[in-house]
Amino acid sequence: MNREREIDPWINRLRSDGPERDAAIAELRGILVRGLSRSLTNRYGSPFHAEDVVQDALIRILDSLDSFEGRSRFTTWAMAIATRVGISALRRKHFQDVSLDAITPEDSMKIDLAVDPTETASHQIARQEIISKLNELIETSLTAKQKMAIRSVLEGLPVDEIARRSGTNRNAVYKLVHDARLKLKQGFEHSGIQPEDLIGSA
Amino acid sequence: MSLSDQQIEKLLKLVVSSQPDDLDCDGCFEHIAEFAEQELAAKEISEAMQVVQRHLNQCPCCQDELNALMEGLRELE
Repeated sequence: MNREREIDPWINRLRSDGPERDAAIAELRGILVRGLSRSLTNRYGSPFHAEDVVQDALIRILDSLDSFEGRSRFTTWAMAIATRVGISALRRKHFQDVSLDAITPEDSMKIDLAVDPTETASHQIARQEIISKLNELIETSLTAKQKMAIRSVLEGLPVDEIARRSGTNRNAVYKLVHDARLKLKQGFEHSGIQPEDLIGSA
Repeated sequence: MSLSDQQIEKLLKLVVSSQPDDLDCDGCFEHIAEFAEQELAAKEISEAMQVVQRHLNQCPCCQDELNALMEGLRELE
């Protein structure tokens, strides 16, 4: 398969010694700087220095060569790693002044049962039923950490930023939130109430 | 603090779309390069990549990274 020949030059060059390896790293650095300069400049409204990010990314790429499985071009795989490194750095800078102090484990996710006077009576009843069940499930099914994580997500905080602030990793935060979502979904299914009825009309 | 109508809707959408076999962020990242190439080639997303698409629909972080990755790859074309 041509992909084998496409992969091998990069991996072999980067695993070699001396000038060949140096040349490969320099070439890869140039590719990544070009790509990131296009994709990450002006993202989050911050100045972006691709060279610094690419230096960090190269370390990770070289440490991860064994994990490249050839399902994509090598340069695409490397660019994905560099993009993640770059975006994470930009997010840290962008959100460093955003406080989570207003969101604490004690903070209620209670949802007000505000009545919309333009809604029909039957729709108001259905809405109240869904909202009441959601409140009940949040209070009885979710842990304090799950409530805080979900609240942070709904406030627009990226999962990797939530992870950084809580001293964990992004995947752990995603799993925490996902587990919470499944609990809520199962709670609705068990009750026979269809939350889909409220989507598009909230 | 109470949730706004938009936050309620966002939460309900996330709840309704959740599946036990959803990919997590690490699982999505393992396939993101392959996914990006399929998207750039305007190929129909393969069945194996559908689960990646589902994660991207639910995870703004990973979707943002995919968008940036594709912009970077277009620069290299």
